[in-house]
Amino acid sequence: MSLERVAVGSEARVADISGVDAVSLRLLEMGLTPGVNVRVVGAAPLGGPLELELRGYRLSIRRHEAARVAIAK
Amino acid sequence: MSPTPEGPAEPAGTDLPVGSVRRPFVVALLGNPNTGKSTLFSALAGIPTRIGNYPGVTVEEKVGRFTHRGCVIDLIDLPGTYSLVPKSPDEQVAVDVLQGKLPGAPTPDCVVVVADATNLERNCYLATQVLALKLPTVMALTLSDIAAEKGITIDAAALSQRLDCPVVRVVAPTRVGIDALGDAILAVMNSTPQPLPGIDAHLATVDAHHAPAAREAIARYAWIEQLLDGIVQRQPPIQRPLGERIDELLTHRVWGTLVFAATMLTMFSSIFWLAAPLMDGISSSIDWVSEWLVSLLPPGAIRSLVVDGVLAGVGGVVVFVPQIALLFLFVAVLEGCGYLSRAAFLMDRLLCGVGLSGKSFIPLLSSFACAIPGIMATRTIANPRDRLLTILVAPLMSCSARLPVYLLLCGAFVPNVAVGIPWLRLPALVLAGMYAVGVVTAALVSLLLSRTIFRGPLEPFVMELPGWRWPRWPVVLERVREAVLSFLQNAGTLIVAVSIVIWALASYPRNEAAIEAEVAIHRTTLTTRLAGLQEDDSDHLELADQLAALDTETGLEAVRRGAAQRQSILGRLGRLVEPLVKPLGWDWRLGCAAIASFPAREVVLGTLGVIYNLGDVDPGEAEGGTALVRRLKAATWDGTNRKVFTLPVALSIMVFFALCAQCASTLVVIGRETNSWLWPVVTFTYMTVLAWLAAFATYQLGTLAGW
Repeated sequence: MSLERVAVGSEARVADISGVDAVSLRLLEMGLTPGVNVRVVGAAPLGGPLELELRGYRLSIRRHEAARVAIAK
Repeated sequence: MSPTPEGPAEPAGTDLPVGSVRRPFVVALLGNPNTGKSTLFSALAGIPTRIGNYPGVTVEEKVGRFTHRGCVIDLIDLPGTYSLVPKSPDEQVAVDVLQGKLPGAPTPDCVVVVADATNLERNCYLATQVLALKLPTVMALTLSDIAAEKGITIDAAALSQRLDCPVVRVVAPTRVGIDALGDAILAVMNSTPQPLPGIDAHLATVDAHHAPAAREAIARYAWIEQLLDGIVQRQPPIQRPLGERIDELLTHRVWGTLVFAATMLTMFSSIFWLAAPLMDGISSSIDWVSEWLVSLLPPGAIRSLVVDGVLAGVGGVVVFVPQIALLFLFVAVLEGCGYLSRAAFLMDRLLCGVGLSGKSFIPLLSSFACAIPGIMATRTIANPRDRLLTILVAPLMSCSARLPVYLLLCGAFVPNVAVGIPWLRLPALVLAGMYAVGVVTAALVSLLLSRTIFRGPLEPFVMELPGWRWPRWPVVLERVREAVLSFLQNAGTLIVAVSIVIWALASYPRNEAAIEAEVAIHRTTLTTRLAGLQEDDSDHLELADQLAALDTETGLEAVRRGAAQRQSILGRLGRLVEPLVKPLGWDWRLGCAAIASFPAREVVLGTLGVIYNLGDVDPGEAEGGTALVRRLKAATWDGTNRKVFTLPVALSIMVFFALCAQCASTLVVIGRETNSWLWPVVTFTYMTVLAWLAAFATYQLGTLAGW
């Protein structure tokens, strides 16, 4: 299951980031590393980016970027 | 600590003591965005001594100078970055400067890493990367006051021990810790730090299937978690800070969106309405000065050059300052509040649909008031491709200079009928339609370019959403000052030069005999046309008025002025391009006015006034506007009784103005912001071609449809 599917308001733990490119590196550098806890705070309207909370700060990523973040069950 | 260059007297010779004016200490300031780095820079060094671009890139260079305990220090403010792994020009520049690889920039003697106390984990990512460079380093813990409000306490001493570098807590706006920071900088200056071994142990624990860069990122965070264990304590505060409650409002699904809409609306209308009186004030001042000069100087070429060329040019530049200042005030305040990112977040989906991103929203919105501050505002877009694309379509947003043209033509030539609902009138609909033409065209151009020439991997929209914070006024005012100065220095001089050239083209050659001959021809034409009309014909009164005007001083002067312009190079160009504009339904007079308005579209009404022999009457004002409308309605094709201004023609003029790049100022600013002459040329070309095609289609379709 990917981060994109997580309901607003819920928490999840990151398992892995798929792919090897600028996007995946960017996600890792911003702290979305395997094992970190993430909370989905909200989403922009019309299928816009998600707002996440992790490591004490808020991060926004687009849905197709969130689709690359696999979460642990 | 004083931000002035003083220092101990230096001896002659090659061995200059470091920390003197001739060879100051060089300190690099580095950190994540939104950490209060700019405020810290202000607190340390005051107003920057040098702002510009690093050579060859559009990355901003900012250097300041201050003295601490008698030592002179140059402070280089590096662009905010999350990591030293270069993925963008910003990050590349930061790495190059830190390693002394940038030509002209010396290796820093010390690095100050700014870390946000509310967010230490992620900030340590960059900090540990910097420590690995083995440069003398000091960590400045900023936003400590906000952290305290949130109930976050950091054991700075323990952190300092684990990182093996001084950690200084600062609250930049109130200058808490600034002196201690200066002391720490001087203290580490002569030391050679040892690299921290911690990360290697963690590298081994990471899965091997990741790429090397990814492995390092994962290992680094694992190491940071271990490093910060026990250092950061969080305790929910007794009373929720105001900032947090504002934050909740702004992120609320409903309220947040409402606040957003209200904010954008306020910003947009203020650039329109608030700037207007200021701009009027400037125009009046320029008029006052020009009147004074007219009374002072003898009539002739010099006076015309000074008043109509130079002064008009300067006025044309200075009049933009209120809009630029206002826009940047808003942008700086929004940025200081942390709200700019939230605006980009909300609008991203919509803009992605046309090949842009959320960050283009505010520049494009501002362009509805004036493209110049809008294009300058694209500096907030880090991705060069997105930035360029935004700059290229920004001029299509119908700016306020087009509005007088729309208003005049809609009011005069669009039938005032109701469409469906009684209070929805056709002229208003057409007006809205013209704005829509610009927006739709921009969307299409952006889509096309992003799929063809600018096709490339989508830039990640991984963006921090900083929490609410109170904007720091010194930083805000500094941004405004920077923007206005940058515009005046870079664009201003060129715009004045262009204005003078246009003045020359419109004034020369001037042949008095030929002018008188034309006046005579005009008189004859009017008489002939009048003779062929009945008394109750709608045009009879107007033509009779025009003929009578020839017998007055002002009327005669106006016709002479029209004749002079028609005989000038500009006028001849108009005649020359008549075959080009005929398919649009225009005669040579309109072609002339269009050419004259290429440098600045706002002059088109005034130019039409001169061409139709209204002289100096200002068509922007009610009386002048009515007079111009009457002339336009009565105008016919030379030698015939066929009217020039029909509804399809009016529409084709408006569409042309909606899409054409008739603003030398905008083109100059595009050139300066993109550091090239290519993009202004591209913008001018594509917009003019589009404008011609659209005007052509409008006229032909309209005539066919019998409008």
